[in-house]
Amino acid sequence: MAVFEVFQQAREGKAFEHGGNVVAPDAEMAILYAREFYGRRQEAHRLWVVPRECIVEINDPDLLHPPAVDRSYRTVGGYSVRDTLRATRGAVAGSAQPD
Amino acid sequence: MVATVDTVEVEDPARVEEFVKHVQSGGKVESGDWMPEEYRKQVLRFVEMHANSELMGVLPEREWINKAPTLKRKLALTAKVQDEVGHAELLYRVAEDLGKSREAMLQDLLDGKTKFHNVFHYPTYSWADVAIIAWLVDAAAIQSQKALLDSSYAPYARTMQKICWEESFHIKHGYDMVVTMMNGTQQQKDMIQEALNRWWVPLVHFHGPPTSAEKDRDLYYRIKAKPNFVLRQEFFSKYIPKILELGLTIPDPELRFDTEAKEWRYSDPDWNELKLVVTGHGPKTEDRLNLRRMAYADTEWVRETAARILSV
Amino acid sequence: MSDNATNTDTTALQTLLTALADDEFILGYRNSEWTGIAPMLEEDVAFSSMSQDEIGHARLLYQMLAELTGTPADRIAYAREPGEFLNCQLVERRKLDWAHAIARYFLYDTADHVRVESLTRSSYAPLANAMQKIVREEKYHLMHGDIWVKRLAGFSPDARERLTSALESLWPDALGMFEPLPGEAELVASGILPSATSDMQAEWLEQVAPYFESLGLPCPVERDASTGRYVPTVEPVYGGRRGEHTPELAELWEEMTSVYRLDPEAVW
Repeated sequence: MAVFEVFQQAREGKAFEHGGNVVAPDAEMAILYAREFYGRRQEAHRLWVVPRECIVEINDPDLLHPPAVDRSYRTVGGYSVRDTLRATRGAVAGSAQPD
Repeated sequence: MVATVDTVEVEDPARVEEFVKHVQSGGKVESGDWMPEEYRKQVLRFVEMHANSELMGVLPEREWINKAPTLKRKLALTAKVQDEVGHAELLYRVAEDLGKSREAMLQDLLDGKTKFHNVFHYPTYSWADVAIIAWLVDAAAIQSQKALLDSSYAPYARTMQKICWEESFHIKHGYDMVVTMMNGTQQQKDMIQEALNRWWVPLVHFHGPPTSAEKDRDLYYRIKAKPNFVLRQEFFSKYIPKILELGLTIPDPELRFDTEAKEWRYSDPDWNELKLVVTGHGPKTEDRLNLRRMAYADTEWVRETAARILSV
Repeated sequence: MSDNATNTDTTALQTLLTALADDEFILGYRNSEWTGIAPMLEEDVAFSSMSQDEIGHARLLYQMLAELTGTPADRIAYAREPGEFLNCQLVERRKLDWAHAIARYFLYDTADHVRVESLTRSSYAPLANAMQKIVREEKYHLMHGDIWVKRLAGFSPDARERLTSALESLWPDALGMFEPLPGEAELVASGILPSATSDMQAEWLEQVAPYFESLGLPCPVERDASTGRYVPTVEPVYGGRRGEHTPELAELWEEMTSVYRLDPEAVW
């Protein structure tokens, strides 16, 4: 028996999310059981059935959340234009007025 | 899950009609599904050009990574260019599943057989060009890309979701640069105004000539959701006020908002220039392609090594 | 300042921080030159992340220097003349081919790892704290380097030859990473530098010599009969820690500061 991981697409066009797994003697029989366990309530639009040994996991926090560097430069929150924008607007408005 | 390339199969008109009805009513298509040959080719052409544009769009900004004037700017610009390379990869992956290999796509790009976006055929002269590109070219691009989130081709729509999310800081980084310089010295303000003058016409060109919706096969198949002129109007409405409030002048005396028609009026931007530019006659087309050709040739041996790893 | 770092060794501490920061900054600069034109799109993204990590480490260290000196981090990075940079010459070498990039990075990273590991025990608390974070981030870099070195060495004669010649040309520069620092005796005495550069070099060679040997790649060292330590059989390239550089750094500096120098007082 082999373990197969099952990914469900809930609705047309949506991303496939991991639903769980089934055991089966081979890939064809895994299709039967995936259909039963992850689709028989009509909760799936499509299923992907993948042999577990084909899945490679990365779960090392040092790789996924390396701690050393301030990476705010790659987020929207890393930029605060508010004060500079206010100053620029103020200068523009000021120069538009007659002396 | 790779779409098969049908060569001799004669398509059943009823099946095609049903397919068109499906996508026109908001239905989705996955890569392994049956699809009419014209649809497959049309999506492939569209995504391939998008991928090419991400890859070529790297070059004008990449030139400035070495010159970024602060540590944060250098980090942000490197990250932005990196994202563009990453997006080229994601998009080439979508296209590959439609039956054309990445090697073939890169070769066609290098040979000038396929297109990339007009804005990436123009030179950059100063750090202000980097700021204007990161703000306004990206803003124009986001306007188009948002209209792809609902594409009938589901793998493309999902990829666009990821891309739009990843790119959200790009515009902010660009806006931050422009605002900072407009709040700076006279020299800095002049640099931004000059860059805006250079980029305005390419920006007006960006969303393409006003094509009639009936003729646009990308709209017909719902590969994209909005016509060119609508995207341009949306871009103008959102960004022209932001440009003007910084004290910048837009170099088009005809530009105004027609309150009755509720749309922006602007000078005709010479659509022939756009046609020339995207068919490979832009001011920097040849230089940029040459840089890509050189980089590709110089690293051929690495890809050959990688291919050997795979075959072991 | 921590209690252990007295006024007398402030200059030496600044020298150490500058050398560490400049190494990361200049290598990050060179590696970022691959962003957008690397051999494969996937690798382009990976290599760019690492160059951003290096610039990020440099920024962290320049900020530390900024707190000591009152000069802002960007000014330290951009307003100095080339002769004030204290990076080793290894990192300033012009970008060549991919094998050269991998070889340089691998040599740098394995050596830097020894240095970072040792500095996690520095008596200067801000430095020790920063290094404890950086050491975790380096896991990915080391993994990347190991994967590429093995693949370039093992899968194509052409790639192997390129890697071999890159390593041969880079070894003397790489040994320059452990050029003794001005003021090193003070730094070691106060515990700011937990191991002397010569000890770190010995430890590094102890780690990499068997690795290179197992892959049949160049590693110009031999065991010293009296000490039992590995010692280089090539002359290390020194000078970087005293501000002596190749014309390649001047070239880099010209380009790097070209926008900054338009108006050093301006905010960018």
